[in-house]
Amino acid sequence: MTTTEAPRTGSDSSAPRRRGFPDPYEIGSPEGAEGWRAMYPYYNQFLDARRAKDSQRTWFRNGMHFPEAMPPFDIVTSDSAFMSTGVMNTRVFALPPALGIDVRVLNGYVYMSANGVEDPEEIGRRAGEFAVRVGHYYQNWPTLYEAWERKIRAEIAKVGAIVIPEMGELEPVENVLAGRGVTTSNDLLVAYQALLASVDAAWNLHSEFLNMGYAAYLNFLMLCRSHFPEITDQSVAKMVSGVDVLLFRPDDELKKLAALAIELDLVTELTAGRPHEELRQDMSSSDAGARWWAAYDESADPWFHFSYGNGFYHHHRSWSDDPTFPLTMIGEYIGRLRNGEDLSRPVDAVAAERDAVTARYRGLIDDEADRQAFDEALGLSKVVFPYVENHNFFIEHWYMTTFWNKMRELGALFVRYGFFDQVDDLFFLRRAEIADALVDLQMAWCGGGEPLGPDFWPPVIAERRRVHAVLNRWAAPPALGPEPSGIVEPMTIMLWGITDEQVQKWLDAQDGGDGGRVLSGFAGSPGIAEGPARVVLSPSDLDELLEGEILVAPITSPSWTPVFARIKGAVSDIGGIMCHAAIVSREYGLPAVVGTGTGTTSIRTGQIVRVDGNTGTVTILSD
Amino acid sequence: MSTLYTRWFADLRLDDRPTVGGKCASLGELLSAGIDVPDGFAVTVDAFELFRDTGGLRSQLTDLVFSTDPTSSAALDDAHRRATALICTSAVPAQIEEQIRTHYAELCQRWGHPDGDLPVAVRSSAVAEDGDATSFAGQQETYLWVVGADSVIEHVRACWASLYTPQAIAYRTQLTAEQAADATRISVAIQCMVDAAVAGVAFTVSPRTGDRSVIAINASWGLGHAVVSGEVTPDEFWVSKAGPQLTSQTIAHKLTQCVPDPSGTGVITAPVPADQRDIACLDAAMVLQLAELATRVEDHYAHPVDIEWALTRSTDHAPARLLLLQSRPETSWKARQAEARARRAATGGASYLNVISSAAGRAGGDAA
Repeated sequence: MTTTEAPRTGSDSSAPRRRGFPDPYEIGSPEGAEGWRAMYPYYNQFLDARRAKDSQRTWFRNGMHFPEAMPPFDIVTSDSAFMSTGVMNTRVFALPPALGIDVRVLNGYVYMSANGVEDPEEIGRRAGEFAVRVGHYYQNWPTLYEAWERKIRAEIAKVGAIVIPEMGELEPVENVLAGRGVTTSNDLLVAYQALLASVDAAWNLHSEFLNMGYAAYLNFLMLCRSHFPEITDQSVAKMVSGVDVLLFRPDDELKKLAALAIELDLVTELTAGRPHEELRQDMSSSDAGARWWAAYDESADPWFHFSYGNGFYHHHRSWSDDPTFPLTMIGEYIGRLRNGEDLSRPVDAVAAERDAVTARYRGLIDDEADRQAFDEALGLSKVVFPYVENHNFFIEHWYMTTFWNKMRELGALFVRYGFFDQVDDLFFLRRAEIADALVDLQMAWCGGGEPLGPDFWPPVIAERRRVHAVLNRWAAPPALGPEPSGIVEPMTIMLWGITDEQVQKWLDAQDGGDGGRVLSGFAGSPGIAEGPARVVLSPSDLDELLEGEILVAPITSPSWTPVFARIKGAVSDIGGIMCHAAIVSREYGLPAVVGTGTGTTSIRTGQIVRVDGNTGTVTILSD
Repeated sequence: MSTLYTRWFADLRLDDRPTVGGKCASLGELLSAGIDVPDGFAVTVDAFELFRDTGGLRSQLTDLVFSTDPTSSAALDDAHRRATALICTSAVPAQIEEQIRTHYAELCQRWGHPDGDLPVAVRSSAVAEDGDATSFAGQQETYLWVVGADSVIEHVRACWASLYTPQAIAYRTQLTAEQAADATRISVAIQCMVDAAVAGVAFTVSPRTGDRSVIAINASWGLGHAVVSGEVTPDEFWVSKAGPQLTSQTIAHKLTQCVPDPSGTGVITAPVPADQRDIACLDAAMVLQLAELATRVEDHYAHPVDIEWALTRSTDHAPARLLLLQSRPETSWKARQAEARARRAATGGASYLNVISSAAGRAGGDAA
């Protein structure tokens, strides 16, 4: 993740603003959520003392990574992710014109504003450092990438291996007999610190390659645009995209398991729609059933550590946590296979098309030196792009779902000590409050007295859950503050879908617009489709999605990939050309319009909509 | 070898330009490349030369041009009237007329009009390149829906006469006699008329930006004349050559169309039926087919082109056919490419991306 844009600077704060987004300091709390600020750390807030500074900057909502109001603990993902992308730009690679991103939370939603470098001398100095640092990465990319995969697998293993001590009646006797001295009370403290340190390290690793991956892609994109001013982002993506992308692997595993079920004659069992545990138990008594479940378990680790959401929230559970969806999809795939459908991804066709598109553009470049530059830029993009495509599975899915589950072990300990009722109540405490509560628990455990938490936290948590629900219903504006003078940093454009044009559309919509019948976004995947809309706000709504419907979602998760086989088109509130909904739609040949901003709030389930993936518009045709 | 005054398109190639003009040579070249071009033949440059060499016509016409005061519009109009009268009343040498009649009759036979009433388009085909100093607008006449051998000959003469519009005369008075002679080397194309349901033009390079990866298509109902002459605002389609893929379309409000005159000869402007005015005149599949046709022409010539095309009406026996009516080299893109290169040079230095470019040179390189 990275972004920079040029906020309008130097304007007089007392002068009337001609056009702009709401001033964050003039937006009140939603009714019933007045106490929301207590849920977030001070360093994420619009402080009154900083009004003169912060209200002069443009803040974009990061709805792509943080579409929902943040539960208090979950802000750690925003902290770590933004720190990591920032440190890579600012201090590791010394990206000449762009530093990192400042973050604020307003009414529970994450807003960001980039820090740029304006002094040409400093840019020049940074460019020298940048060349050395990034040059090393580009030249040694395959070796470094191999090492990266070892590092992240080690980090996942490490977080999984963190032991949350039982905190039983007595210190385990073996510790005493070993003369350890340091107690499990201290282990508890260390475990929590290890969890926070690990999630931070995982996000460092996330950003180690990502910004540079995007930069190489961007370099190729700009080169293409200089030769072909009208080239679509889709075409550039097509030339660079890999065929063997991890994103599709979990879905492929489901298809494999469906085929195996047919082979082992387990169709009846697996299409009955029975609950997971019961099904597993019954089937395991037969040889065929046991064999199938063994294959399932093999696929599941790691491929079903696949978040139903984007991994940034504690409640984004994985397929492994809740196998309902994968089992349902296996049942559906069994049906399709028995109807004679070929479920295999058309990888050869995709590869052939990529090569044909590349040859087409390359052939249109007359000059030999230009062609060589094209080859080199594309070559570098293809070397680095597998990381961009694949990191998501390792970090957002595998690592994060493991991390959240480890946090739940800590939550379970608090539940045992009566701090609160539900394991997930833990996430309604801020990270610093959890540290406090741990001390409370340590004191009680060590001293044999009663912790104070059980008398302190339940009402706080109940109130925060209520406030959080109110915040979740608040319609967060896409941006805050003055209209930016020009968004030039293309990573912002690529990843978040924030462009000058998009800003104008948001402003138009805010100023009345066209009555909301036509929504504009990015042409994510070409084609035109009409059909009934299905607004899917969370993975639990996926079951309702019917064959032939248009999926309308705030953002889609890679783990939703299997349902793309059912739908006719996709619309998302958030995302640019490289977002998941666009990538999967292109693969499935479905039209998609992404980054509409207001798809889920403007479109209602059942309305007939037209998705025009060529022009990036969605039209509501009927009620 | 006896002089040929007429030549079938099928026998022509690009290097026949000096004898049949650019339009006819290009049609023959594309026909030989397997592209669907309406059948027809050229009345060669030699025909017009012989015509001018008969009965002292050439010197009369030359005198007429060079004795005209180019600053007097009355004089130019008078010269135009006199030249036209001279050409239209002079007898066409028998060997030319006979060859035109024979070829037209055979064309009628080939295309199901044994009674000799096949509608054809009669167009001038200049030897001079578009944009050459010797070329001049006004000598590119087109007559549509010409029927019958007599009428064909009459319109061949009209094409010859079109070299003598007042503007063309004024222009040629500024040339040397030799240049003026070159500028009037002209052939005439006789081409089967396409009763187009939809027609228009296509550019294999963006007229907006000079981007060679896109195709711009203009299309409207009826014969392409309406689009070429700007009488209607056509539907606009943009196609990316990679794919190819339709990237955007703008549907125009199309009020009129050019259709055959119900009398049987000529064309008229008629209203578009209300239910067709605001709908796309091409579907996406046809746009892509058209894009492929344009790309084939471009690939054949190895440079960008603009083409005129027509889509026939589908009947019970035959589906609609997509035909190429003519193609021209598109020349403006070279200048635009130079602009783009200058832009690249100007922005490249300021960006950190040039560091990546140099890293790319060392690190990447083998993927394409």
